[in-house]
Amino acid sequence: MPHSTSAPRLGDLERVVMEHLWEAATAAGAGFGGATVREVHDRFSGEREIAYTTIMTVLDRLAKKDLVTRERDGRAWRYFPADTREALTAQTMRRTLDDMEVTDRRAALLHFLDGATSDELDDLKAALAEIESRAGSRRRP
Amino acid sequence: MEFVIPFVLAGLAVLLAWVAPGLMARQKRFRRAPRAALVAWQAVSVGGILAALAAAPAALPLLLDGDDPIMQAELVVLALLVSTAVLARLLWAGHRVGTRLRRIRSDHRELVDIIATHDRDRVRILQHPTPTAYCIPGRQSRVVLSQGVLDALPEDQLDAVVAHEDAHLRSRHDLLLEFFTVVHEAVPRPLPSDAALFEVRLLVEALADRAAVRRSGELATARALLTLAGSRAPEAALGAGTTAPVRLRLLADGPPPTVLSATAYAWATLAFTLPLILLVLAWT
Repeated sequence: MPHSTSAPRLGDLERVVMEHLWEAATAAGAGFGGATVREVHDRFSGEREIAYTTIMTVLDRLAKKDLVTRERDGRAWRYFPADTREALTAQTMRRTLDDMEVTDRRAALLHFLDGATSDELDDLKAALAEIESRAGSRRRP
Repeated sequence: MEFVIPFVLAGLAVLLAWVAPGLMARQKRFRRAPRAALVAWQAVSVGGILAALAAAPAALPLLLDGDDPIMQAELVVLALLVSTAVLARLLWAGHRVGTRLRRIRSDHRELVDIIATHDRDRVRILQHPTPTAYCIPGRQSRVVLSQGVLDALPEDQLDAVVAHEDAHLRSRHDLLLEFFTVVHEAVPRPLPSDAALFEVRLLVEALADRAAVRRSGELATARALLTLAGSRAPEAALGAGTTAPVRLRLLADGPPPTVLSATAYAWATLAFTLPLILLVLAWT
């Protein structure tokens, strides 16, 4: 949407900043001391023109979404990724499948399939066999 | 003769809002004609709403025959109140459901945009081994696939899955489901039937499966359904039964006889127009 406000751009920045924090945390290992707004801003200063306050807003939004945590360091905040990308992904997968109220979940996100019980799998295989044999007989003559 | 019309309308509202959904959910053969069946479901819901709204106004011409002007004014107010209450209940449910769903979708979309890798335009890939595929409807829609589904399905089956999700987004099936969720919530407890909502959901899936068949053929679509059904743990399947066996059975049964669609459309027309005809009759 070319005419939209700053929302999609902010979303884009949130991803870039988050990726930066993940990379920094991975590179530093267990002793990762977090990143300040200044440090994140410096990291992007070469490639994009992003205002310091924008980075501040982005980190603030990420904190509200519980994707980053922060610790006071003197007068500044140090930001940490709340979890690894893998852990967040696993959490998200679990949440979309199990946690939401069923009626809402099913209307909000349309899943290709809602799973099947082991009893149902036999029915499924029988139906597939029917389709396969029909497809086969159509090809043969 | 006119004096029965308001009662008929009230009865019709009860019939269309409560009795018909239960009966229709049992007519499983109409699943073979999902488009026509969905039209019928919508017509019945809208017809029920119209009948409920029209019952009080239809009583007015009758009640206004008396000579007492104060009495008349009170009756008009009463009739208006009844209709307004029905309408307010619907709008309130619409507001609540709409707000809730929009919130879930936008929160989820923002999260997925951050943690998932970006593929084409609106496709997002979650780095996770469990095969899953879904879409986030709305103005900024997304198709979300897991790495697991990319690994599990060959290309033609994956195309079928994406075509299925694209059909949901393109035909705005979310609006359809939202409408039925609103009606479900607006109908007073304990009368709304979960069977109706399950049926509508199933029909929407069957309709999207059709789009998948058009893109990739029934064989690839059927195989994708089976692969994904088999890869998900049974406990993830909530509630009474899942849609997978029915959908695969529908694919095996092939296209419906025309008479099924015709019957569904006829029933839809009747359910939608009957309340309007009755209201017109009451005022003429």
